[in-house]
Amino acid sequence: VVSTQSTGDLMRRMPTHNLSKHLGDLVDLCPKLTEELLSAVDQPLSVRRDDMKQKDFIVCDYNRDGESFRSPWSNIYYPYIEGYLPPIQLRTIEEELNKAFKVYTDMYYGEEALSSVYVWDVEGGFAASILIKKKAPETGDTWDSINVMEVFEKMGRPSHYKLTTTVLTSMAVKPGDEGDEEMMRVSGSLTRQKEEDFPSESGHTTNIGQMVEAMENNIRQQMEGVYFGKTRDVMNEIRSVTAGTSRQKQPSAVMMGGGFGAELSGVLAKRKPIQ
Amino acid sequence: MSGLMDISNDEKVRIARDFIRAAPAGEFREVVNDVRVLLGDDALLTTASDVFYEHATDQFCRVDVEGSPALATKEGSVDGSKVFYDPGTGKNFTYKYLTGEATNIEPGVRDNGAESWRKALEDALAVYLKDNFPAFGSAVYGKLDGDTVSLTVAIENHKYNPDNFYCGKWQSKWTVEFPTSGGFAKVVGEMKVQVHYFEDGNVQLHTKKTTEESVQVSNPEEGAKNVVEFIGRSEKEYQLGINENYREMSATTFKSLRRALPITKNLVDWHKLHSLNIGRDLMNRTT
Repeated sequence: VVSTQSTGDLMRRMPTHNLSKHLGDLVDLCPKLTEELLSAVDQPLSVRRDDMKQKDFIVCDYNRDGESFRSPWSNIYYPYIEGYLPPIQLRTIEEELNKAFKVYTDMYYGEEALSSVYVWDVEGGFAASILIKKKAPETGDTWDSINVMEVFEKMGRPSHYKLTTTVLTSMAVKPGDEGDEEMMRVSGSLTRQKEEDFPSESGHTTNIGQMVEAMENNIRQQMEGVYFGKTRDVMNEIRSVTAGTSRQKQPSAVMMGGGFGAELSGVLAKRKPIQ
Repeated sequence: MSGLMDISNDEKVRIARDFIRAAPAGEFREVVNDVRVLLGDDALLTTASDVFYEHATDQFCRVDVEGSPALATKEGSVDGSKVFYDPGTGKNFTYKYLTGEATNIEPGVRDNGAESWRKALEDALAVYLKDNFPAFGSAVYGKLDGDTVSLTVAIENHKYNPDNFYCGKWQSKWTVEFPTSGGFAKVVGEMKVQVHYFEDGNVQLHTKKTTEESVQVSNPEEGAKNVVEFIGRSEKEYQLGINENYREMSATTFKSLRRALPITKNLVDWHKLHSLNIGRDLMNRTT
């Protein structure tokens, strides 16, 4: 128990652009905690090719069996093994969620982004991991979403949904012109959790979709405040932004986030109530 | 990655050093403590502790020496281990890495060949620092090598606020080289900023910039004035540039990763999406 507190604390302090190396070192140092570390520490997502369907898919602990990973498109393991396959009802939910989140991903991240959904059994219901990977072509900046949704169904009562979302991102400014050498990178992860009850009549796809969308929009907004507001404000506390320059005084983080907040809350107010 | 056998002690020490070296400014003690627990062997930690010097001098750790804000730097290292020289007070001190204290304060050795240049720069710099930093630590080192005067300026300020989940540091180093007769000095600067924000997450800013210029140094006072002018101009430009990058990231980069809303300006209609998919599946089955 003391060990996992220390591993968690340590990984929260390491710069995230070197995350894989630090995680590998940690696993080597504490081999007994391997399974726990690999599932508890969020890493940028990796991708494999489904040769049969000629499509990429995201790999993670939830579609892994040994050293192989199951594609959500063909439901086959790569490299091939006769591995664990979800039961037919779950596979149906999984296919439906994959279709719905493909549309969602296109709409928010663009067609170059990749999504994959994996569903598995849990006590009292099922769980789904909704993963999205985006890499901006011109800049190499990255965004990885890891949504883990647990759904608990009760006879004659609303279903209970518990969502944990981690977004990992890395943004860098390329070196400037020759002469002065410069580098700037803002990177890291934010994790949030939310629980809600929804009547099962609306259907799992709709309930899961709305929750994930609201959560990702919320995290994106908070990221603006933290990544671009907070870290910048801390720097400006350490060295005074000189007064008396021709530029305007730097706007505070609150002002910068204001535009999106207003727009988003207006749209959310218009949202259809769940039937 | 993990094998069936435990890794060697040498590997454990290497891993311990790598973690400690990567500790954000202001979080050195916490990282050392975590590593100590995970190593489970204080003898191994002692072996790895040579990395403390590397971390402290990379970060220009500030330490109080007789009321003066001195720095632990490689330039000021006396023994490559834990004894440092503070040019401001002219004293040597032993730096206790885990407590951040200076002990064993003793008179140090000053290189008088460069002293008039060094002192002038130190005085001019003090005015600049008071005007631009709410607090700071600094050191101006000077030495004479044959015919060449070498001055090194180290500047640091930080904000450690773990209760509010953040730590940050600004540091810069400037080397000034010129002939004893004066003339033009080559000034090379390196400026770095790091910020770590860790409320329900782990977000870090890392930025670095190097710059150089030829500066006129005909006499100590004039030279100092010109060097400090270059330092001030560079640091201001760097900081304004970072703020500008933030604006750019927020306005452009971020949007190209994920939009705030779809192009329709409305949230996804999940009911419609679901019916469309069901409809499409039914169609595919009947045709």
